[in-house]
Parts: sequence; structure tokens; C-alpha cells
Amino acid sequence: MTKRAPLALLMVGLVSYSLLISPFASYMRNKPIAEKLGYVPSIKVLKPLSADHKEFVGASLVLKVTMYFGGLIGKMQNGRLSEPADLQGMSRLLHQAVRLDPYNMDCYYFAQSFLTWDAGQIEVANEMLKYGMQYRSWDWYLPFFAGFNHAFFLKDYPKAAEYYRKAGDLSGMDLHIKLAGRYLQESGQTELAIGYLKGMVRTANNPAIRKSYQIRLQAFQEARRIEVARDLFAAQHGAPPATVEQLVHAGLLDPKPSDPYGGAFYLEATGKVSTTSKFAFATGKK
Amino acid sequence: MTSIIQITLKGIFRDRVFQGIMALAVLFLFIPSAASLSMRQVVETSITLSLSLISFILLLLSVFLGATSLWKDMERRYTFSVISLPVSRSSYLLGRFFGLALFLVITAAVLAVAALLAIKFAVLMYPPDRPVLWGALVLALLFATLKYILLVGVALLLSTVSTSFFLPIFGTICAFLASGITQQVYEYVHMPASANAVSPFLKSAATVLYYLLPNLAGFDLNVNAIYGIQPNPNGLMITLGYFLAYTSILLGAAALLFDRREMQ
Repeated sequence: MTKRAPLALLMVGLVSYSLLISPFASYMRNKPIAEKLGYVPSIKVLKPLSADHKEFVGASLVLKVTMYFGGLIGKMQNGRLSEPADLQGMSRLLHQAVRLDPYNMDCYYFAQSFLTWDAGQIEVANEMLKYGMQYRSWDWYLPFFAGFNHAFFLKDYPKAAEYYRKAGDLSGMDLHIKLAGRYLQESGQTELAIGYLKGMVRTANNPAIRKSYQIRLQAFQEARRIEVARDLFAAQHGAPPATVEQLVHAGLLDPKPSDPYGGAFYLEATGKVSTTSKFAFATGKK
Repeated sequence: MTSIIQITLKGIFRDRVFQGIMALAVLFLFIPSAASLSMRQVVETSITLSLSLISFILLLLSVFLGATSLWKDMERRYTFSVISLPVSRSSYLLGRFFGLALFLVITAAVLAVAALLAIKFAVLMYPPDRPVLWGALVLALLFATLKYILLVGVALLLSTVSTSFFLPIFGTICAFLASGITQQVYEYVHMPASANAVSPFLKSAATVLYYLLPNLAGFDLNVNAIYGIQPNPNGLMITLGYFLAYTSILLGAAALLFDRREMQ
């Protein structure tokens, strides 16, 4: 090898690198979101390999999921996601994360945000919260979430009251104690959701999560506006309205309600306000 | 033995190992901002990252310094000049061990100061729901240091029987990984539910390995430090006793083997 060979090798390397780095960075940036979530080995392998870094690996898994979700929300347009979210993959990763670190609050918080409304996996979310309550025995958030899930989604009011009472005992906050009493009887579903979501928006420090809660809050505030107009219509006309359009034409809904998820509000036969979006993101792909 | 300890420390500092660690310690500056990515537990994540970084650095030090220290001396034939002095082989070996252990303690103390400052900054920026148990944090760092000192003992023991550095390095890494799961394996094979699934031979083998391999899971106080859970004082005393007993066994066996080793 001549004396100039190492210098030549270095120069070739530098030139190649400068030519390749831009397309490489672009390729990495534009990788499909699902690929970014990637493959994570089974917990049986991951746990022993994590050694005394279990908490770190658990936090990394949660970060991976939130980055993935943040990417999806960032690319969202008019309430539509550019591609379907890999909810199953997100759930799997979060379950692995709590097995590594059962105290990690980010896991429970994030699981509660998407497993319920987006994935419709209420029981899975509740099981996860129950698991967390065994460890985070001081934390009122977990029974508070479980209480909300039982009241709002499962309509299991005695169980909801039980969890709210537990949250009240832990936090000492009047709100939870009042909710416990309130959920011994069914009332104010939309108002409950608005109150819950306002609290979640206020305490969320992750921009993607806050945005997702803000959109949901906006949707429920619109639903609440329709409920108020519906009750007013019934009081004025002596009969409930059949459609949302009737309320708009009667001048009780101005401006016309708009679903931030891109759906359309309608009244069910029972008078309940619903939306075609089911308060969840639609995907751009058909 | 004191002079061997001094020589060991001087050698490590001369090899600029400490400067390398200080370069890695710059990462502590980024911990509060990295932890702010957490949704609900910024301070807890700061503690997690700090403990993981310290643990990783100590692991590298214990494996590489512990496994190459004796081997390097023998390879460079330093041991011949040392054992011709009025110093027993055992004193030489113990001197090496205590020198390495002292270096780990110094490193852990310096890194602990950096970690505590980074965590304090995170606490001021993002006040946590639960107060940080600073005592538990210091205990976690102390027990992590003890764990890696014990691992240095494992590396030295393997060095005394090996002619290359492969066995000490890979053997120590394997012992470290195995030591974190022996407790789980032991509990699993002794569960009534696994009586049919686990053969008696496997059960006996797992039991032997459980008592033979170091159980380093007991030194892991990360959860206590991160989530402010008070550690069990009795458990800590027993773990401390375990450390002293197991390290004595390792050093005793290493000294015996090193005394009988033929050097050419």
C-alpha cells in the first residue's frame, strides 16, 4: 500500500458520505410510520436482556409509541389520518413496557388515551389500569381513569362509583367524591366527558397527546351544544326534533355544528346525539 | 498491598480512562431535556436515565478493567517483576481488586454528583407529583457500585484461570446477564404450577446455578429511587452481607487459583 492510499481512502469515503447522506436522511425521514414502530422482541427475551435497565427500556418503548402516534397526528389533515394507526402494535408495546416497569405512568396515561376511544378496547385498558393500581398504590389517576371508563363506556355505574371513591380517597379532591355519588345514577354523559377531557388537556404536556385531547374535547363540546338545542326545541315545540338540521333551521344551532373528526352529527331514535365519526380518527385510505 | 492499590489507580488514570468517563458524563447535561419528552413523569424519567447511564458506565469499567487488568500484566510480563518482590501473589491480586474497586467508587461518586445536579434541575423545572427520595437515590447508586465491584471480583476470578482475555470478558458479561434472572428462574421452577412442566434434573440444575451464580437483582434499587418507594432496611443489610460474603468467596478462590498458577 502506498503512502497516499490512506489519504485517498479517506477522501473517497468523505466524498461518498457527502453524496449519500442527504438521500439517506430523506429515506429515513419518509419511512412508512408502521416501519418506524418496528419489531420489538418478546418480553421473555427483552426482560433478561434489559438487566438492570428495565425502567430505561420500558421508557424507551413508551417513547417509541408516542413518537409514532405524534407522527400520525402531525400528518393528520381534516380529521383524517394519512394511514391507519397500528393500534394493536401500540398496545403490544405498551403492555411490554408495563411488564418491564409496572410503575411507568406514561404507559397507563397513553394507553388510556388511545385504547378507549380509538381502539375501543375498554376491557384491555381497564385490565392495564387494574394492573397499574397494584403498583402505583398512591396514584389517584389510575382509579380516576378506570371510573371514567366504567361510567362512560361500559355504563357500569356501581363500579364507576367504586373507582371514583377510590380516586377521591387517594386525592382528597371533592370532584372525585362528587363523581362517585353522581355515578350511582346515570346522568350527564357528555358533560362528564367534557369535564374529563378538560382536565386531560390541562395536564397534558406532550403536544401530540394534547392535540388529540383538544380535538376530542371540541367534538364533545359540539355534541353538548346540540343537546342543549335539542332540549330547548323539545320545550318550545312539545316534541323532540328528528334531525340536527331541524335545530339549525329553527335557529337554535348557530353556527352549524362541525365534527372535528370529519364526521356528521345526527340524532338517534332515542334523541341521543351521535356522530358518524364515532369520536375517533378516520383514515385517508379506503 | 497499598502500593499495588496505588499502582493500579495510577495505571488507570494514566490510561486516560477517567477522561473518557468525563467525556461520557457530558450526556448528563442532556438528561433533563431528554426526559421532558415524557408525558407524565419527567423527573422519574430523569432519574431513570441518570441511573441507567451510571450503571452502563460502571458495567463497562468493571467488565473491561476487571477482565483485562491481570491478563495485561501477564501479557506484558509485569507480573514476573512484581512476584520477584517481597509481595505475595495474593496481596498482588487483592491489591489489584481494591485498586479497581476504589476507582469504581471514585467514578460512581463523581457521576453521582453530576446525576444529582441533573435531577435537581429537572425537579425545579418540572415539579413532580411525589417528592424525590434523595436518600433512596443515593442508596441506589451505592448498591449499584457494590454490584459492579462484585462483578470485578467475578472478572478477576475468571482472569486467574484464563490465558486470554476472552473468557474473563465474555464470562463476566454472561455472569452479569444471568445474575439478573436467576431469581426469576429459581422461583419459576419451584412453583407448584410448573411441577409437571419442569423435569427434576432441570429443577436441580436451576437450583445449583441459583446458589452458584451471583444474585445481582437484590442490588437493584432503581424502582425505589425512581418512584420514591422506601427500601426495606433489613433487605439492604442482608444484601450488604451477601455482597461481603460473595466477594470474599470470589477473592479467596481467585487468590488460591492465582497462587497455584504456573507462569512461563
